[in-house]
Amino acid sequence: MNTSLPPIHEIWVYLSGSPLLALTLTLAAWQLGTWLYERSGRNPLVNPVAIAVTVVAFVIVAIDMPYATYFEGAQFVHFLLGTATVALAVPIHNGLAAVRGRLLPLAAALVGGGAVSIGSALLLARLLGVDAPLQQGLWAKSVTAPIAMGVAEQIGASPTLTAVYAVVTGVLGAALGRYVLDAVGCRAWWQRGAAIGIAAHGIGTSRAFTVHPDAGAWASLGMGLHGVVGAVLIPLLFHG
Amino acid sequence: MIAGLLQLLVFQGLGELLAHFVVPAVPGPVLGLLLLLGWLRLRGRVAPGLDLVSGAFSRHLGLLFVPAAVGVVMFLPQLRAHLPALTVTLVLSVVATIAVSGWLLKTLSRPDDDPPR
Repeated sequence: MNTSLPPIHEIWVYLSGSPLLALTLTLAAWQLGTWLYERSGRNPLVNPVAIAVTVVAFVIVAIDMPYATYFEGAQFVHFLLGTATVALAVPIHNGLAAVRGRLLPLAAALVGGGAVSIGSALLLARLLGVDAPLQQGLWAKSVTAPIAMGVAEQIGASPTLTAVYAVVTGVLGAALGRYVLDAVGCRAWWQRGAAIGIAAHGIGTSRAFTVHPDAGAWASLGMGLHGVVGAVLIPLLFHG
Repeated sequence: MIAGLLQLLVFQGLGELLAHFVVPAVPGPVLGLLLLLGWLRLRGRVAPGLDLVSGAFSRHLGLLFVPAAVGVVMFLPQLRAHLPALTVTLVLSVVATIAVSGWLLKTLSRPDDDPPR
């Protein structure tokens, strides 16, 4: 008999006080999400972020861990968002090489798509009576989440709501994109990819890569450029 | 790999400095992105270490916003109250965004710029 072992609640207090638990939980939930996503044949509706967020949320509610405590541990992951944003320069750099002769349609789609994303969401939310604090998160929803959260901070919106809307937008865009593009007669892979990247950022891009490599490459470029254009223009529009 | 990570952190730091002292309206990491993009265009190539790290980040980008998105637990009552309205908003808005982007790309491209599938 080993009587020197501390009682279970002491172990628990020790573990839940360190960042280890929150980090392990976050990575395990993400691993589960990506595993299910791969198993589903990369079905956009089996989204790894949505799965991971749901699992983590259930667990912290079940073990009665305040969100602030969880975030204190998970902030090591959160910190890397800025670094990952800088890293988007690489796919943009690689994609720009292929832009020759396609600059005008691409620029028009970036500005037009971005404006429609913001305008339509704000208009609909206002018409349908969504509360003002919930509306603000809609501004950056088509922008890739790491940049969208930075933009949200700039305009005083909730980064959390912005991230949640961005994920939902990405999932919807990835699932509905092909039907919408067929309906408007947009057939070339590069155009389809760019449109999905602009509207549905990383989740749409991941989907585009499963359909065709050209669509994927152009989706990353559309996502990256929309991130940059959005980060510069959204604060100006919001305050202007 | 460490060289690539170091390069990202240095450009992130430069971006944060620029955001703090010169262009406060743009998030620091986005300025870092633009600086790195300028640097890559000057150099004309991406160092293997940077390529590796940026690839890893783009594959697991979703992981990085899980901690912030879990904050949704604090908004659940409000979100639940507005769920139908928000759902309609998000669905119609993304459909409109894809439609307009796709249409603009198709209409403004040269008609022959449709490589065979």
